[in-house]
Amino acid sequence: MSRQRLTVVLSQSQGKNPTRRALEESIVAALIMEPGLDVSIVPYLYDLDKEHTGRLFLESIQGDMVVLAWMFPRAAFWLLDRDGIKGHYGENKITAPPEVDEDEDGGEPEPPKGIGAVDVPDRHIYCLDLRDHNNYETYVEEVRRIAAECRERRETQLKSWVQGNPTVVQLGRYLREEEPAKPQPAFPSEQLLKQPDRRWYPVIDYSRCTNCMECLDFCLFGVYGVDKLDRLLVENQDNCKRGCPACSRVCPEHAIMFPDYKTPAIAGAPVGNISGLKIDLSKLFGGGDALAIAAQERDRELVADGRGAVGMLVGIPKRQVDKPPEPKDDLDKLMDALDDLEI
Amino acid sequence: MADDRTFLMGKFPAVLPGGLRYARNHMWCRLEGGRGRFGFTSYAIRLMQDVYFLDWQVNTGDRIDLLQQIGHIETSKAVSDLFAPLAGTIVAFNAELLKDPSGINVDGYGTGWLFDLECAGETLWSVEEYEQFLADNWEKTQRLIKGKINTEE
Repeated sequence: MSRQRLTVVLSQSQGKNPTRRALEESIVAALIMEPGLDVSIVPYLYDLDKEHTGRLFLESIQGDMVVLAWMFPRAAFWLLDRDGIKGHYGENKITAPPEVDEDEDGGEPEPPKGIGAVDVPDRHIYCLDLRDHNNYETYVEEVRRIAAECRERRETQLKSWVQGNPTVVQLGRYLREEEPAKPQPAFPSEQLLKQPDRRWYPVIDYSRCTNCMECLDFCLFGVYGVDKLDRLLVENQDNCKRGCPACSRVCPEHAIMFPDYKTPAIAGAPVGNISGLKIDLSKLFGGGDALAIAAQERDRELVADGRGAVGMLVGIPKRQVDKPPEPKDDLDKLMDALDDLEI
Repeated sequence: MADDRTFLMGKFPAVLPGGLRYARNHMWCRLEGGRGRFGFTSYAIRLMQDVYFLDWQVNTGDRIDLLQQIGHIETSKAVSDLFAPLAGTIVAFNAELLKDPSGINVDGYGTGWLFDLECAGETLWSVEEYEQFLADNWEKTQRLIKGKINTEE
């Protein structure tokens, strides 16, 4: 049963770093020997365009999957989501958990309030960061653990359907599993591994994105748009300017990632906990503030395109977060009264 | 000489020696003649915690401008570009730190100094002025630490 197997995809690093290649090869060699796994290799995930065989292969995978890549798990997960390869976020156990700092009196980080992903199928996608460890056994162990976790999840689900009253949808899904698996299209490995050109574009973490559209106002290169549901969308990925992370600095929720950027906070490091994320203290130590840096970066790209610099005049959010609350006026009271009616 | 002061960062007491001058980028300065020795204040070190990596982008003898980027630091809690506290000419970098930057954590006001700069130090703050600056910005700094870097005015 193909759906009972766990698909493991290793995404190679860019370039030919021998240390990285060696780690990739050791992991794949060990995983191929494991029962119940389908193991494949594709080039660097971020660079795959929609025509690339590696991308078509990823799209064809059904059921749970593990993706090992040279980037933060959050970046890899939302990158796949953008490519239509969706699932629930599988928590791995080998990325160092955010430390808890006892003497910080910051309390619990607020839960993310993003708009979330849509059309998420009933499967889990686990992303492992190959930069976390340099010994292949750690990854092999973790894949084994994930395989067991997925098996257990399926069994629990199955039991609950057998014992309870399955809904028609659940039943349908269960029955469909009994059908013979559709033959997988063939993906010749030389096409699968064809080295793609380098790309550069933002990846949105929809668990954090609140659809505030500040990035859409800020970017003057037409990268952002909205989908049919009026959700923010990275519409024209390849309009993005290589190396420019400006919109990421403008985002109030740290929802915009550039997986290849040097600063971890922008490349998709875990957010929300002070210790999990290395904070950038540059501003404190004399650097400009995030919005000013973003405007400078944007100006550089505008000028390179033969357009005029706009500085802080266009698309800079006028935030009112720190504005002290004013006494409520009659309109506010009316709005509150409407809220109370809970219509 | 002014007394030492202590600024409370939550529960952590950041000691600010009275005999030093201070720059707004959280460096202290010991001025002697036309030359100043600079290092991180205990306030800055507390924010960064264990220093893993220190790198300078300018050389001894280079002339640097106020707030010009001169280096980069990575610690257990933070990354940051480093900027010149004043305009001047770099006389020396602390070579020990380039071998082992954790000297900053061991003795930030002594052997963990960063660099010597030929400069005019009139614009530097007294310990009282620096303490006041910390107090005025503590709220904002805490917000920054909690990851809301971009939501500030």
